[in-house]
Amino acid sequence: MTIEGPGAVSEDVNAASPTLDAPRLASARPGFAEVVAKELDAVYRYLVYLTGDRSAAEDLAAETFEKAFRSWRRFDPRRGSPRTWLCRIARSVAVDWFRAETRRRKREETYAREVSPIEELGDGLPPELEEALRELSPAEREVVALRVLLELDGPSAARVLGISQTACSTRLSRALRRLEEGMSDVRE
Amino acid sequence: MSANEMTVEALLRAHAPHAPESLRERVLALEPKKRRTGLPSRRLVLVALPAAVAIAVAAAVVNGIVDSGSSPRSVADQRAVVQQPNLELGKVPATHGSATGPPAYGSTTVPSTWRSATVAGGPARLKAAAPATSGSRLQHTDASIQVRVPDTESLGEATTRATRIATSLGGYAQSVDYQTPQQGGGVSTIELRVPSQNVKAALTRLAGLGTLVSQQLSVDDLEQRLQTQSEQIAQLRRRVAALHEALRDSSLPEGQRVLLQIRLAESKRALAQRINARKGTISAGATARISLVIGTEKSIAPVPHPRGRVGRLLHSAVGFLALEGIIALYVLIVVSPLALVAGLLWAWRRRSIDRLLAT
Repeated sequence: MTIEGPGAVSEDVNAASPTLDAPRLASARPGFAEVVAKELDAVYRYLVYLTGDRSAAEDLAAETFEKAFRSWRRFDPRRGSPRTWLCRIARSVAVDWFRAETRRRKREETYAREVSPIEELGDGLPPELEEALRELSPAEREVVALRVLLELDGPSAARVLGISQTACSTRLSRALRRLEEGMSDVRE
Repeated sequence: MSANEMTVEALLRAHAPHAPESLRERVLALEPKKRRTGLPSRRLVLVALPAAVAIAVAAAVVNGIVDSGSSPRSVADQRAVVQQPNLELGKVPATHGSATGPPAYGSTTVPSTWRSATVAGGPARLKAAAPATSGSRLQHTDASIQVRVPDTESLGEATTRATRIATSLGGYAQSVDYQTPQQGGGVSTIELRVPSQNVKAALTRLAGLGTLVSQQLSVDDLEQRLQTQSEQIAQLRRRVAALHEALRDSSLPEGQRVLLQIRLAESKRALAQRINARKGTISAGATARISLVIGTEKSIAPVPHPRGRVGRLLHSAVGFLALEGIIALYVLIVVSPLALVAGLLWAWRRRSIDRLLAT
């Protein structure tokens, strides 16, 4: 059974989709297709910012939703929003990717210096901001994505990152300051 | 947040990447994969943990109820502890009948110590307990009694009476150790020997010297040993007779005669030893040993009053809970190093993730 296209995201679609309806535990919780339609962009953005690689983010987003689909039965809406839950899964998937990527780079460094392809993080983002964004560490980009793009609140973002709210705020302030500095340098 | 930062945020939001349509189609076309058997959810643990505690407590209470219901324990075949305050002398538990059973001469199944009983109970209500010894079997009785008297004056009197009781029943006092320290109190330890048939009477009368604090009694069945010794004696006698018969032969060569005489001497010596041993066995069966300790209130602590049903229930349940606690502690001791390793692994993993994303 497959999920129909994005336009079919409604209660009717969920009702017609037994495989997706099956994990639904409570009437209050949304259907999985609904969540996919609503949160796909958010998860993708988060992964683009985290990895700095659009094609990787695409693969990781697919993997994230696959994992989410498998464990959809365990999702408890009372413990957090679907977005927070998906971001946590996405982060776990991305961490695995980072590990694999690090190993791969180490292997390749033995033979040749890798030149990573430059991809845009945002759609039509000003070049100076794009550059400043690239200068940030993945951890800093991650917090920017969660707090700014995905508009998660402090506690939710901290939960996704596995750090305290204070640490999350500090990291966000630092990242935004660095972005601002990058922009200022260009302006000057 | 500054105005510049706001600008940055607005720019980031305005130019946020959008998931390509191919990804959307890919995700929406997800097929459910074979579900893996996952670990129990946290909710299940939250239910299972209190349930386990409730079961443990319930088991302890049930154990307490069961134990408190069967407080006066029945006498086992070999050894038993009797805590029956009103147990009358000679009125033994029903299981004793099976222990005395049919005579088993030559049988190896007869235990040497076939019955033993200990009595400990309330000072006033405690009565002596004694086995109904079988008259036809040779048995050795070993008893020890502890009696409490109010003062040193009564102690001396009770010691004298104890000796008289033993004498009047055809026995004697093997040793008397009478001590009355200056700081008060006093203890008299008397080793008595009385004929086996008078053990019951002796115990009853000795228990009447004061307040019976405790009594322990064991009976060894000597029938098997006596039977073995008798058979050995008969065999040795036959051998001696045969050797005598052989030595009467005048045609016997000198060398062989000497050899037979040596064997005869050895057999006679062994026969004498066996006869002595059998006398000892018979003597042991004929007399019972009673160790009597008479003490004053100061020297012999009173035995706590036996618990009621509720008390026993609580005692048993608490004991059971303590046992469960010990098991839980043991499990904790075993598991804690693993938990520590798991914790360290978790911390290490978290640090490695931070390092990974910081660069």
